[in-house]
Amino acid sequence: MSGYKMTVMLAWRNVWRNKRRSFLTFMTIAAGTALILFMRSLQNGGYAQMIEDSVAPRTGHIQVHEKGFWENMTLEYAFMDDNELFNKISSMKNVKGISKRISTGGLLTHRDSSAGCEILGIDPERERDIITMDRYVLPGGKFISPSDKNGIVLGRALARVLDAGVGDEVSLVSQGFDGSIAAKNFMVRGIFKSPNVQYNRTLGIISLDAAREVFSMMGHVTAYAIRASDIDSVAGLAARIRSVTDDTFEVMSWDRLNPEILQFIALDRASGHIFVMILYLIVAFGILNTIQMSVYERTREFGIMLSIGTGPERIFRMILTESFFVSAMGIALGMILGYGLSWYFTVYPMDFSEYESEMEMYQVSTLVYYAKIKISDFIRASVIVFLLAGVFSYFPARRASRLDPVTSMREL
Amino acid sequence: MGKGVRMKVIEIKNLHKTYQSNGQEVHALRGIDLDIESGEFSAIAGPSGSGKTTLLNVMGGIDRPDEGDVIISGQTMKGLSESELSKIRLNRIGFIFQAYNLIPVLSAVENVEYVMLLQGVEKHERREKALAMLRDVGLEKESHRRPAQLSGGQQQRVAVARAIVSGPEIVLADEPTANLDQKTGSSLLDLMKNLNHERGTTFLFSTHDPMVMDRAERLIRITDGRITL
Repeated sequence: MSGYKMTVMLAWRNVWRNKRRSFLTFMTIAAGTALILFMRSLQNGGYAQMIEDSVAPRTGHIQVHEKGFWENMTLEYAFMDDNELFNKISSMKNVKGISKRISTGGLLTHRDSSAGCEILGIDPERERDIITMDRYVLPGGKFISPSDKNGIVLGRALARVLDAGVGDEVSLVSQGFDGSIAAKNFMVRGIFKSPNVQYNRTLGIISLDAAREVFSMMGHVTAYAIRASDIDSVAGLAARIRSVTDDTFEVMSWDRLNPEILQFIALDRASGHIFVMILYLIVAFGILNTIQMSVYERTREFGIMLSIGTGPERIFRMILTESFFVSAMGIALGMILGYGLSWYFTVYPMDFSEYESEMEMYQVSTLVYYAKIKISDFIRASVIVFLLAGVFSYFPARRASRLDPVTSMREL
Repeated sequence: MGKGVRMKVIEIKNLHKTYQSNGQEVHALRGIDLDIESGEFSAIAGPSGSGKTTLLNVMGGIDRPDEGDVIISGQTMKGLSESELSKIRLNRIGFIFQAYNLIPVLSAVENVEYVMLLQGVEKHERREKALAMLRDVGLEKESHRRPAQLSGGQQQRVAVARAIVSGPEIVLADEPTANLDQKTGSSLLDLMKNLNHERGTTFLFSTHDPMVMDRAERLIRITDGRITL
């Protein structure tokens, strides 16, 4: 056995000297690591779901507009529909779907009630690849069809304000692309309730053809909406689209289309960091406590070891190795527990659908939370716990290696 | 191996040591001069607090004197760094303490091997020597037991084996029989005496046990930090 092997063997056996204490420390590290990983997985899943809940019903992953449209949302910023550009984008890698849109503000009236709204004209066939709004139509209604020039689908809250139901006729008044008054009666085909509260309050959806007609678009549209094959390919795809559009266009990806989601995620991540830091500290102090107690209890033993010629550096290495073993086992167990817990909530997400009305009151639109496991979180957590173990073991190890043999041998 | 020509193993010159105890200055050693020759079986005797353990610690390089010098086989210990002192303790001195001498997580044979391992002795040679040493101290059958599974006397025998296995120039034993009953203590002394005769190992004890004093070939009396021959 080499000196190194002896150090490792001594450390390993020392870990098992006090089984109860070692077990408690493993459990502290394991529980802390598992909770950190589980929390991170829940955050990942929650954020992904929030993004999906914002992107899927309405915005899509990427939109191409004329510059200024997104801030003003008026037909003044519509652009001439360019089939060549449309087809070029359509044939790009990672494009799952692309559709033309016309959207602008308007006033909807039903009997004595009226409400400001956003009217969105879409091609329902193409939009099936981009948004999921048709899935949110409540029973008793239906989504608009491509050829339906008289139908409208309203958000539930908007319908409530208008006191309109399926089959009712509502009147739209707005301004056309050419500056004329745009006015038309629409039949309510369906009422949707999407995960996004804002859309439920303000959105009315009509067919693209109806929008072209009512707003006198003269071949213009306000946006091309695009869905990428997955969220991670959005940035690359947006860059490619930018390279084929001129300066009059703006290519906006989901994070700019839904900045509030990014803000919420940033805020939530910050509070999550605090919680995770507390967990890391619990783990770190668990390690410190074990190593400190273990060093304190063995003061005389270290005195003897130093007396018979053990170098201080060997004692230092031995204690750090003990800390490594305790941490490694705790982390391994924590990873298994964290993975298991996260996996369970990946398969069986937390569903708060039955508390929908309460959550709507607090403007929480995401009702289903699942966990999403990321290997990078596992690597990060294990590296941080190891670093903490190293830092928090360093001082007890240094203390033990610097003990005065005479004084320490008086300890019992 | 018998005793041949005697050489000075340790020379002590004008050793002074003062330490603080409960806020009071204690003069543990007050100008000690002493020579220990190879093959001696000697005891430093004195009442509690007379300075015998301090003297042994300073001789072994575990403690440093305030004044004076300890020379081991011509090598002065004055001005040596901790690491140099550690090497001297490892290679030239064997230690036996009152109790709790052994590393609890190592078996008897591993405890005996430990010092040789620090010295860089090859595994095979190390194990062979350690087992032979345990055989010499009558513990061959207990070689794989850990200290907690051994009696106090057996533990001290393992400590003796560890102290002499690598052939140190001197073995310093601080009250080695203090925690043992008379029979076990006597048996331990017999063992050390045999090793002294057969191997020529130099033993120096600190003790206030009359049995140890009786067996010692030379008795060095110490009182209030002074040798009172």
